[in-house]
Amino acid sequence: MEVGDCYIGWATDEDIRTRGASGGLVTAMLAAALEKGLVEAVVVLKKLGEFEAVPVVTSDPEEVKAAAGSMHSVPIVLSRYLDYGTKVALPAKPCDARSTIEQAKRGQVDIDTTYIVGLNCGGTMHPAVTRDMLDVMYKLDPADIEGEEIDKGKLIFETKDGKEHAIKIDELEEEGYGRRESCQYCDVNIPTMADIACGNWGVIGDLAGKGTFVEINTEKGIEILKNAIDAGAVEITPADDKGKAIRAKVDGAMMNVAAAANKKYLSPIEGSHLDYYMNALSDCINCGACKTVCPVCACGEGAKCTDFSSASDTYKMSLFHLVRFVHLMDSCIGCGQCTDVCPVDIPLTHIYQRFAVPMQEEFEYKPGMDMTTPPFFGVDLIEEGH
Amino acid sequence: MNENIFTTVCPGCSIACGMYVREKDDGTFDIDWRKDAVVNAGKLCRFGVRLSANLMNATSKVDGNEVEFSDAVTAAGKAISDGATFVSVGNTTCAEHLALMKLAGSKGAVVNTGMGAFSSIPAECHPTMGVGIPFDAIESAKKIILFIDPYEQYPLLVRRILAAKKNGAAVTAVGWKAVSLADDNKTIDPANYESELALDSDSVIIAELNPSTDPERVMVLLNLAKASGAAIMFMKPFVNAVGCDLASKKTEQKSLDQIIAEINDGSIKTLVCLDSDLIEIMPDETAVREALGKLDNLIVITSRTSAITDVAKIVVATEPLYKKAGTIVNAEGRALHNSGEGTDGIDAIGTMLGQPVGMYDEVHAALLATLGIDAVDERVIPAYEKPDYAAMDANPTAEAVETALVYAGGPFLWNGMVDDNDFVEMNLDMVLANSLLKGIPAKITSDAGEAAVKFKVSDVAPGVVLSNVKLPMTTGMVTSVTVSR
Ligand SMILES: Cc1cc2nc3c(=O)[nH]c(=O)nc-3n(C[C@H](O)[C@H](O)[C@H](O)COP(=O)(O)OP(=O)(O)OC[C@H]3O[C@@H](n4cnc5c(N)ncnc54)[C@H](O)[C@@H]3O)c2cc1C
Ligand code: SF4
Repeated sequence: MEVGDCYIGWATDEDIRTRGASGGLVTAMLAAALEKGLVEAVVVLKKLGEFEAVPVVTSDPEEVKAAAGSMHSVPIVLSRYLDYGTKVALPAKPCDARSTIEQAKRGQVDIDTTYIVGLNCGGTMHPAVTRDMLDVMYKLDPADIEGEEIDKGKLIFETKDGKEHAIKIDELEEEGYGRRESCQYCDVNIPTMADIACGNWGVIGDLAGKGTFVEINTEKGIEILKNAIDAGAVEITPADDKGKAIRAKVDGAMMNVAAAANKKYLSPIEGSHLDYYMNALSDCINCGACKTVCPVCACGEGAKCTDFSSASDTYKMSLFHLVRFVHLMDSCIGCGQCTDVCPVDIPLTHIYQRFAVPMQEEFEYKPGMDMTTPPFFGVDLIEEGH
Repeated sequence: MNENIFTTVCPGCSIACGMYVREKDDGTFDIDWRKDAVVNAGKLCRFGVRLSANLMNATSKVDGNEVEFSDAVTAAGKAISDGATFVSVGNTTCAEHLALMKLAGSKGAVVNTGMGAFSSIPAECHPTMGVGIPFDAIESAKKIILFIDPYEQYPLLVRRILAAKKNGAAVTAVGWKAVSLADDNKTIDPANYESELALDSDSVIIAELNPSTDPERVMVLLNLAKASGAAIMFMKPFVNAVGCDLASKKTEQKSLDQIIAEINDGSIKTLVCLDSDLIEIMPDETAVREALGKLDNLIVITSRTSAITDVAKIVVATEPLYKKAGTIVNAEGRALHNSGEGTDGIDAIGTMLGQPVGMYDEVHAALLATLGIDAVDERVIPAYEKPDYAAMDANPTAEAVETALVYAGGPFLWNGMVDDNDFVEMNLDMVLANSLLKGIPAKITSDAGEAAVKFKVSDVAPGVVLSNVKLPMTTGMVTSVTVSR
């Protein structure tokens, strides 16, 4: 097994394979990593409802097994739950993986003890939007939903009576439903920065829906997959060229869709920038939720953004955000967490990305893509002679 | 490291935003966002975000000494005599409130929720004063009149009002401070509300009802709603104020001021407070401390350490709200159930009553009957009858002082918690007239003393000094003061 190899894999346990999103490979791998002592803890989503799950850090393989399946209406970034120094594994959408890398660059995550099990991702939906969408577009009661999947560009809900209800995602998004805005313009679908990248794209023939396409990206990726095979938890077969080509083609098509959304949403600011920022931030209530939830912020309590601003300031614009625009411009990955939690519904991710992306392009730095390039604001201590 | 995760609501105000609490092995906790929460998609204001920094669990005590929980319960059971007075403003579950009502009933007393306005206003108005409207309904209003400052007092209403504006609503704010989202900020004489505001049945009035609210003001607003057909929503500062009010039904209630007066005249000797810190809630902290000092028995059943736990004779420390089994009813009238299964509080009250087991099931069943539902479903608001009421004669007291220090009560103020809010706000004219200088605190003086406080220049009404924190020299929600350098 070598870095760069691609396989189709699945869980040997029939129950995990059935409950898993596409063969249960990820669940089986994470559980085996715990059972064999490769890691001390695993971060997974504990399912509380059809559209509700909460991240848990667990050392119980049964809890990992219970978490099998993809939850498209749970837009949470898991890297925020990592503890420095713990040998840990996590399933990681590209934003989970990229934020883990950015945290590692800032000394908050020990990358050598963190196994990033990447999940391809075409996007997540906000649960409140999903509920509205079910009501308005599908004419379904959210309480009747028993399962959901994405297939051939359609979002399909299964109801308790066993029926399937499908609508094209494009159509949903035209009506303002579907994926969160930040997911629409996210152009990283395959987590190449993770130790191993898993997904259903490229799984064809008899294995479609019953196998996971796996690409090995690092030695740690080999380690966690081999560990699961040795434990008898997982079986694999080499991916064929046709599957690889399909996967690359779908990825390319998704990147084009993202580029179009990027143009639509992240166009340069027209007119006075001062007016734009003053208006956009005028309702900020200084709650700090966006900072607390930010998976790339590495500052903790004594941060520049909070130190330089106070509720007693008379400024007409939030200094807190002004500092954060600058401070996050080399790490903002556009994951959408700040927008999701903003109590006054400021589209923060949009505003931060509009500031950060041109800067990232200027400095040719895309955050979270690998461990080798330091952040463009980072000072290379060795080069500086320290 | 192990964690227990609780699905609960923020205890900061009657909005009751959904949240998770992650409790660690060592008892410390963090909050997390519950994006699928029906109330505000789990979005939280600064109070909710900072909850773990501010909430400290209580410790059981008798005469200032730490004791076991069971010893505190026994001591409280003995000390609660006939003639005791009971207060529960709505900072705990309906189950605990109902259990306390049973205990109070056994002593020939009622539980006072502290909202004195309920006793001074005819009972047919109570349903309208108690339960508000669904937050979604704010978004579809054509006209919104704010008698609150949503940014400071009820921050999670801001997004609802902004959504209404996007849908074409016109927003007018009537208050001490200009509200930036309002199309129009006005000061109006209550006698002219009807003519100047021109409301109709597509309008929504948002006001506040707290223990210090002048009942006459409530009557004026009820009259306005009646005359125009507008919907009216009285926000409350306490998370379960609505639930406790519904549970209490129409029992005669004393206002907190009345309770303090009766302690001072010696007719109340034993006071039992369930998660209700009068020192925090009432504006004149010094007067409240003095009165509480006159009691024979101050018994506090509470989940958190606060000013009152320092001066109580007996503290019965119960589990934090997020851990309690039970239901909260928010300002919309929505019943929200905690995932926690803790029954310390219920068991304590049950034990004092001689009913140490089975109390939870009994009181929870009573709550469901009151709400007219079979089970709590957070996504379905129970149906509430709101009968018509007659217009009332109302004469709100005019705040005729030249310079007034006014409390803008937000979650931090009502919960006595310190935050980045240790300043007052006044307009530029007042700053210039008093030669105040940036960086030098303003001196604020009243009959009760003086304080030096940071100030911020804001668009507040002339003569108003607005405060989000309690200052030591205040004597009411509005205090006559002078300002100097
Ligand atoms: C939101 C989302 C979108 C996806 N979109 C695509 C796509 O467009 N194309 C593609 O090829 N593959 C996509 N995938 C990956 C695919 O659905 C499977 O996760 C992958 O094929 C692995 O399948 P499995 O059966 O091995 O995983 P499972 O054994 O089912 O394990 C899934 C693991 O993912 C975790 N998880 C579930 N939901 C989330 C979430 N929202 N965030 C973080 N972790 C989560 C679970 O806790 C569990 O540990 C997506 C996954 C998710 C979560
Ligand atoms: S204090 Fe009120 S508005 Fe703020 S988070 Fe808590 S419940 Fe919501």
